[in-house]
Formats: sequence, structure tokens, C-alpha cells
Amino acid sequence: MRLAFILGEIASGLRRNLAMVVSVILVTFVSLTFVGAAGMLQLQINQMKGYWYDRVQVAIFLCGPGSSAAGCSGGAVTPDQQKSIQALLASPAVAQYVNDYHFESQAEAYQHFKEQFANSPIVDSVTPDQLPSSFRINLKDPEKYQIISETFSSRPGVETVIDQRQLLERLFSVMNGASFVAIVIAAVMIVCAILLIGTTIRLSAFSRRRETGIMRLVGASKLVIQLPFVLEGVIAAVVGAVLASATLWAVARFFLGDVLAKQYPDTAFISPTQALMLSPLLIGLGVILAGTSSMLTLRRYLKV
Amino acid sequence: MIRFDNVTMAYDKKARPALDSVSIEVERGEFAFLVGPSGSGKSTFLRLVLREDRATAGAVFVAGQNVAKLSSWRVPRLRRGIGVVFQDFRLLPQKTVFANVAFAMQVIGKNRSVIRETVPEVLKTVGLEGMGHRMPHELSGGEQQRVAIARAVVNRPGILLADEPTGNLDPTTSQGIMQVLDKINQNGTTVVMATHDDDIVNSMRKRVIELGKGRVVRDEAKALYTSMMPVVPSRRSEQGRLRERVTTPAGLGEEEN
Repeated sequence: MRLAFILGEIASGLRRNLAMVVSVILVTFVSLTFVGAAGMLQLQINQMKGYWYDRVQVAIFLCGPGSSAAGCSGGAVTPDQQKSIQALLASPAVAQYVNDYHFESQAEAYQHFKEQFANSPIVDSVTPDQLPSSFRINLKDPEKYQIISETFSSRPGVETVIDQRQLLERLFSVMNGASFVAIVIAAVMIVCAILLIGTTIRLSAFSRRRETGIMRLVGASKLVIQLPFVLEGVIAAVVGAVLASATLWAVARFFLGDVLAKQYPDTAFISPTQALMLSPLLIGLGVILAGTSSMLTLRRYLKV
Repeated sequence: MIRFDNVTMAYDKKARPALDSVSIEVERGEFAFLVGPSGSGKSTFLRLVLREDRATAGAVFVAGQNVAKLSSWRVPRLRRGIGVVFQDFRLLPQKTVFANVAFAMQVIGKNRSVIRETVPEVLKTVGLEGMGHRMPHELSGGEQQRVAIARAVVNRPGILLADEPTGNLDPTTSQGIMQVLDKINQNGTTVVMATHDDDIVNSMRKRVIELGKGRVVRDEAKALYTSMMPVVPSRRSEQGRLRERVTTPAGLGEEEN
């Protein structure tokens, strides 16, 4: 009976205060979506780290016919230069750092380029001889990049030595920046949500002051009097959190899964299931938000 | 049932206390009127019994318990043993008569079958048999007050506090309300009624506790609204003023929550 009564009170409270409840739902929805977006970016970074760190290589690009770098004053790399670089790679001084390496010819480079930019018109204007050949090196310890770079960058016939990990690090720092921005926006929105939930509960308590006054007089317990208000806020916040989770799922499923995955086929994007793993976190956060802010409000505005 | 031991209640330390070392005992099953001009401490008395406030000094006992020593989570249990009726009825306008009375049972967790059985009985006691489906605005003032009384006694409290229950009603209707209260009293409920209505007090001939400026100035059994002691000529003017004041609806029931 008491449960049914409390549920009835909640329903009537939600009905009477519909506009405010909807705004609470929307504000928690937006704020938790930003929280979730930050979470998804972090998941994505971890995913990419896991995927790429074993695969990234140090690339020693060799001079091509049109190279203008300092080491390429002698024009394109000669077969002798290429052999001496390969010999150096196999020498014990360097080999101790190297897991394995392979040579990528201009034709292979062109092949990869075509795959990578399959739906871009740039492919048509590039010919194999414009792309440099390279040695692709897998390091035992990616941190030892510096040694390779020092050893090879001044060799004749070497245009440049590039650590692909650095390219990734740059990407990750952009993503970290984005998730920081998302967190800041989320924090502002959460403050907004807390205040709005407080106001809503206050209005609700005010519009039901006759009922609560009578409840006090006939000796209803604090729980029975306050619970409907707290649950009202919590239900609104949970609806917001569920909407936020659904949005994140949709982003992972349709934007990452359908759009970005096609453009970057060799990148591992997080799956919709992984995005949904954030949802208990968001719902929990919503419940804590609404619960604390409504209890604080009730302590001030609903005498029991 | 209710005992005040030297109770002093000061809302403001500088001003005159609302109650000034008051000692009163109301026995189980008694019917007592609480009279006195506005500001004499009647409402404060009722608030202390309900533990809306705690006394500044002295002790208030309700059903043998010192209410000041109750922890806050036990206060609801104290209030379940006390029914309260106000001058302004305080019904819930969007609920039917039945639902208004049932509300008092629902919020303390009574189950549906008990409610369905008890509410019509109580409505019958207050003379509203068969009116459970009506809305409060369809009822007269007297009928609304009966609903309020039904709600106050539906959980069978040992004490019924009435704060000017006839303040908004005409004399005939008031008599009807008094009959209901008397009937409830006869069923064993202790009734304490704060009032300005001299006709009612005079016709009932019950115990009268008169407060003045926070002190008990008179406590008589089977008494009248004004003292039965011979009136000294010099006090006549004061008596007249008192009578004038009671004709205006006084601002007691100012309990705002």
C-alpha cells in the first residue's frame, strides 16, 4: 500500500510539474552526453594505442628524384647507398633495437597510398615515382626511436626518419584536448542540472505543501514525505542519462561505425557495445546528482 | 494524557514569553476548552503538544512521554496519536471526501482493505454517511469541517486537538460540530479545543482553561467562557473588551507549513 501510495505521489508530482521535469531531463541529458563523449574519446584513445603501438614503425624515407632535403643533394638514392643502409640495419649495433624491418619500394608505397586514399581524387594525380621508397622498422622498444633517428638521418640517400608514434601522439593530444573541453562543458552543465533539480524540487514541494503539511500532522514518516520528491528528481535524471546513453550508442553505431570506419578502414574504432558500457556510469552519475541536490533542497524547504 | 510542568516558551528572548511557567494536566478522556484572547498562548500550547516546537524550559508530557526527549524520527509516531483540526479545515481540494480521509491512513501505510472498511465508518460517525464521493468545494463549511474531523480521528488517536474549529462557522453549524466532538470524546478520546466562541463554551459546560499573557489565569471544571466568580465593577470594562474581541475572527490557526 505504501509503495503504491508513494508511486502515485510521484506520478502526480511529475504530472503537475511537467515542464520543469522535462527541462531537468534535457539538462541532465546534455550534461551526461558531454561526460559520455569525454569517456568515449578516452576509450577511443586507449583502443588506438592498443591497436597501433605494436604496428607503428619508424620509417626511413629514402631520397627520390625530386627530394629537396639536405641529405639528398646527390639526387635519388643509389642502389649502393640503399645497400649500405640495409647493412647498417643488420649490423649488431642497430639490430639489438630492431624487431624486424622490411623495404617498401616506390611501387608498394603507391599501392598503400591508393588504398589509404581510395575515395579521394588525389590518387589520380600521384604517380609511383613521386612517392619515396622506405625502410619500415619495428622497434623492440618504441622509446628507442632517437637512436635510429641519429644513426640514419645523416646517411647519404636518406631523406628523413619519421617516428609514426609521434604522429599518433599528436593525434592523441588533440583527442585529449577534445575530451578536456567536453569535460569542462559537462561540468558547467552539471552545475546547471544541480541547480535546476533543486529548483524543480522546491517548486514541487511548494505546490504540494498542503499535502505534506497534512502528512506531517497525521504522523507520516520522513521517508514517506520526502521520498516522492527525491524519486521525482532521480527519475528525471535517469531518463536524461538513458537518453545520453542512447545518443552515445547512436554516435558509435552510425557515425563511427558507418561513416568514419569507411573513411579510415585501418583504424580501430570503439564499438557500440563499448559505448554502452559507459551507460551505467552515466546513470549512476545522474542518480547521485539528483539524489544529493534534491535531498539538500528538501532539508531547507520541506520541514518534517 | 497531556501534562505541562512549568513550561516556558519564548520565541524571542527579549519579548514576553508566549507561555510563562504553565502547569496544566489534562486527564485521559477529558474534554477541555482552552480560552483566552489572541496572543495568550493557546496556539503555542497546541504546537508544544505536537512538538512543532520544543519548550524553552519545563517539560511537556504526552501520553507519559517527555516530547522534548523524543528523537526526531520518533516524532511521527507521537503525531499518529494526536488528531488535529483547524479553523480553515485544510482539506485537499482535488481529492474527494473519501480520499481526503483515506489520505491520513495511506501515508502511514495502512492497507487498502482496512481503509475501505474504516473510512465509511468514520464518515458515519461525523454525520457524512454516503458523501464520500463528493468534492470538498461541493460541501458547506460545516460539512467540510466534519471531513477534517473525520480525517483527524480516522487513525484513532488518543488525543484530538482542535484549534478554533468553529471559527469560520455560524452558530447552528458550530453546535453540530460540537456534537461530533462530544461524541468523539465520549468514545474515549481526550479533546482539547482552543476557542473564542463563548456560546459554545457556555453551552457545553466542560472544563475551561483560560490563558492570559502566557499564564493560566483560570482552570475550572464545568465552567463558562467568562469567570463565574462575581465580577468586580472595576473589571467590567475589561470584560466588555474581551467580548468585543471574540466577535471578530481571531488569527489563531496561523500555523503555516
